[in-house]
Amino acid sequence: MLPTIKPKNARSKRALVKRSSKVIENPKNTIFIRGSQTSQVIQNVLKDLYSLKKPLALNFSKKNEIHPFDDETKLEFLCNKNDTSLFTIGSHSKKRPHNLIMGRMFDFKLFEMFEFEVKDYKSIEEIKGKTCASGIKPLLVFSGEPFNQDDTLMKLQNFFVDFFQSEKTDSICLTGLEHVISITVDPSASTPPPTSTVDQQQNYKLYIRSYYVNFLNSGQKLPRVELEEMGPSIDLVTRRHVFPTEETWKKATRVPKELFVKKTKNITHDNLGNKLGRIHVGQQDISKIQTRKVRALKAPKVNEF
Amino acid sequence: MPFVKLVKNKAYFKRYQTKFRRRREGKTDYYARKRLIVQAKNKYNSPKYRLVVRFTNTDVVCQIVYAKIQGDFVLASAYSHELPKYGVKAGLTNWSAAYCTGLLLARRVLTKLGLADKYEGVVEADGTFSITESVDESSRPFKAFLDVGLKRTTTGAKVFAAMKGASDGGIYVPHSDSRFPGFDVESKQLDAEVLRKYIYGGHVAEYMSQLEEEDEDKYKSHFSRFIAAGIDSENMEEMYKNAHAAIRANPVVTPKEKVTPKTRHYRKQRLNAKQRKDKVRQRIAAARRLAEIDN
Repeated sequence: MLPTIKPKNARSKRALVKRSSKVIENPKNTIFIRGSQTSQVIQNVLKDLYSLKKPLALNFSKKNEIHPFDDETKLEFLCNKNDTSLFTIGSHSKKRPHNLIMGRMFDFKLFEMFEFEVKDYKSIEEIKGKTCASGIKPLLVFSGEPFNQDDTLMKLQNFFVDFFQSEKTDSICLTGLEHVISITVDPSASTPPPTSTVDQQQNYKLYIRSYYVNFLNSGQKLPRVELEEMGPSIDLVTRRHVFPTEETWKKATRVPKELFVKKTKNITHDNLGNKLGRIHVGQQDISKIQTRKVRALKAPKVNEF
Repeated sequence: MPFVKLVKNKAYFKRYQTKFRRRREGKTDYYARKRLIVQAKNKYNSPKYRLVVRFTNTDVVCQIVYAKIQGDFVLASAYSHELPKYGVKAGLTNWSAAYCTGLLLARRVLTKLGLADKYEGVVEADGTFSITESVDESSRPFKAFLDVGLKRTTTGAKVFAAMKGASDGGIYVPHSDSRFPGFDVESKQLDAEVLRKYIYGGHVAEYMSQLEEEDEDKYKSHFSRFIAAGIDSENMEEMYKNAHAAIRANPVVTPKEKVTPKTRHYRKQRLNAKQRKDKVRQRIAAARRLAEIDN
């Protein structure tokens, strides 16, 4: 871990403030790290994912001896130093061929991570055709029942949404919807293996496909939409994973108080910037009201005879 | 040998990182490129277009480009070497030609997108500063940002001629008037008369008539192509006016006919079996005839 730095000048102070926690966080950066040994497949996967994530991504082209499942300090150090809260590590070994580790950080500590085996892979380059514009938000499609049932897959879905969403926007331009990422879980492979091995972990097969959206003329106002495979297309099988504890999950998903806007009643602002209020006045007791005394209204004196 | 301090030691070379290829070649300004490509997050995902203007020794290239994940994609392009088709016969790299090329590109891309009728731009250019504004709510103007590449952005530079042409052609290019010829630094004001003169090649015509008076020989060699095309200082403006009208009338690119080059065989073509056998037969017959004559 990096020691906590006390800023010595205004510039370093600004830099520290930039990466400190905020009410509305900046978009998450992703670091792509190459392990000590990588296969060509893994290198291509990293390259393609990096090109999808650009410009909110950082690519480490040199090798790094990094094994986050054994020791996460090195990864935490790199993520802290580069201010990235998402990471992807590729490696290849005899025990774990074509290994891909994806995960995220919280407060520069490891939050959760998933390990996959890349079973089948086709790069963007291999699939000829149109490609989407760089740096745009994709549409995400999750299909398969287990995404709503299984705890691991629910967490995985949550992670993938975070990984691919990049910047948050409140509305979207139709012409910018160029890219669809579909993640499907194989229903047949998701059944638990009959022979229970040492680790009881269930392995899922995931199909990640990526499509370019063609807007064609339909003769109406809404265009006819056709999808065209763009790549990368990755078949993944889950391996190990690390999940956050209940406590850290709660801490990480906490919405800051400042974001809850208290509903103010009876106060409106008009277009000129004036503040208008409506006041409730309780019912007045008319009988006790002090009014002008008019002689004519006075009760007539009764003549005494 | 004197003691030399080793500056570039092993640690230096181990940590050394080469720059990007296009940086090493001195072709791309990555500082500018990064800023021209990344779309602001409040723009809701819409693609960001660039108006790329480049110059070669003989040509002006204008393109509308946007970045895809597999490299840049050219939406439309226009070259000044197409201008002879529209009536600009000579002077294909000057300020006025760059303006024409920008105009051609703008009309071309708007025709492609079906916005040509909605966004006419400035039909009769008079050198005043204007920016394309949205006609109605339903379709906003096509927006592109000028990419000057590695050119110096001085006042009066030709890249801004192409930009002015594109802007007058109906594309929305955010800019100010401070880099057009005729802009006065002191008063911070644009002299529309000067800019108009440049648009219609007035500065070329001026030099032409001046040279014609002073040095006839130099005039003939310097403006040989203009003279051959029948352009002189008087009809220069007329030519550009007609060219602008011709561009607006039909900006669509005409695909070039593919010419299949005639393949020349330097090696002898091989004979097939039938030809070979025939050849042998002929030679035998010839030899026999010779033998008979000898006898």
